[in-house]
Amino acid sequence: MNGHLSAVTLNALIDGQLAAEELRVAKEHLDRCPSCTSDALEYALLKNTVARNGQRHTMPAGFEAKIRSQISAHQAAAASSDKSAGPRTGTQRNMALAGWAAAAALLLSVGGAVVVEQRARLADATAMQTASLAAEVVDQHVATLANSQPQVVSSDRHTVKPWFQGKIPFSFNLPEPLPQDTKLDGANLAYLYGHPAAQLLYSIGRHRVSVFLTERTNSTQTMKTQERAGYHLVSFSTADLDAVAISDVDPARLAELVRSIEQAQNGSH
Amino acid sequence: MTLLPWKRAERQPEASPSTFEDLALPLLPALYNVAGWLTRNSGDAEDLVQEAVLKALKGFAGFEQGTNFKAWIFRILRNTYLTSRSGLAARRTVALEDELDERGEVLYLEGAIDRQTPELNLLRLADQEAVMQAMEKLPPPLLEVVLLCDVEEMKYKEIASVLEVPIGTVMSRIARARAQLRRSLEEGQRQSKGRNA
Repeated sequence: MNGHLSAVTLNALIDGQLAAEELRVAKEHLDRCPSCTSDALEYALLKNTVARNGQRHTMPAGFEAKIRSQISAHQAAAASSDKSAGPRTGTQRNMALAGWAAAAALLLSVGGAVVVEQRARLADATAMQTASLAAEVVDQHVATLANSQPQVVSSDRHTVKPWFQGKIPFSFNLPEPLPQDTKLDGANLAYLYGHPAAQLLYSIGRHRVSVFLTERTNSTQTMKTQERAGYHLVSFSTADLDAVAISDVDPARLAELVRSIEQAQNGSH
Repeated sequence: MTLLPWKRAERQPEASPSTFEDLALPLLPALYNVAGWLTRNSGDAEDLVQEAVLKALKGFAGFEQGTNFKAWIFRILRNTYLTSRSGLAARRTVALEDELDERGEVLYLEGAIDRQTPELNLLRLADQEAVMQAMEKLPPPLLEVVLLCDVEEMKYKEIASVLEVPIGTVMSRIARARAQLRRSLEEGQRQSKGRNA
């Protein structure tokens, strides 16, 4: 290094990350080395310019409000599932002082407003849950694309289905005749929203498809068909299962596969 | 003289600012900015920040109060980005060597840059458009370390926590990122000189 400060030391110096002793040594060196002083000056200028130019992307108008409402919708949904909400005694006391008639009127109007607000929040919470589930599905599908091998590699439904026995708390059927140019590649044990899921892997031509099957829940996470991050998502529910399929294939062909899987569930268990 | 001590006690803040909104909302502009740089697309940046915030909200119960919330939520943002399509594409196309030699210095770096006079450097760095272009040329792993260090003013330890890598790796990436910025600026300057000649 010809006795000069290393690039790492120079960078740590201008980032204020050198320990006291290292800083003393570096300063001593800078006092007698114009070359390193020049470098340090340049790095400092570069850092300042990057800091200035790096603040390039500003949030669109209303974005913070959107996030804020999503947060409160999530918290409202969490609070409504937690049934330990206590009464608002202070408000009740004031209403009593104002008289029964006024209190009743107030209760009616406040009650109405609360119902409307709760409905709006519930709608928000449902929309957010759906978005959140979709995000999880996209994440898992993309992660699968990056991995080379499924946990069970087989095009035989009689191999794939039994593989899940003891791994998931539900059963499902796989269709035998598949739509044209479609084949079963294998499956993974996955988790959606913390619940075990069977991730079935299909190919339609060169396009990969993931179909996530989970045990039917009471929560209504009906997704139907939607597009997200360039992928199409199609969902359906049977009496026992919730399912969501994802792929970048033509939506009509994805829907065809999903239909055949849905029909298979109505067959024998 | 003690006046209405009960009233004063009532005015005390209920708790330290530790609700999710208190901690997360002030960071939205910073999260959005980094997301914008990483995704290069405002729609994707919005999606990325929304997903990261929702994940953080769901996992907030597991966040240890009093630890570094900023590093925590930036780590969630980054992990969300890495599992996105653009993040995976970026990871596939960029090979990173984080090796340092036994003295903790970045390999192959010395000699890559000609030492120049401060006057020339000042002129070159005054061109903000050139710096912007040089930043855009940085591969994502180098860009993010520069953004976290220079724009977000995070310490190496915090950056290491966000990236989930050792501090030595952070140091070598910063050195490599700035070396590449310098190289891009020098190339840009040479090209503009060539055009003017």
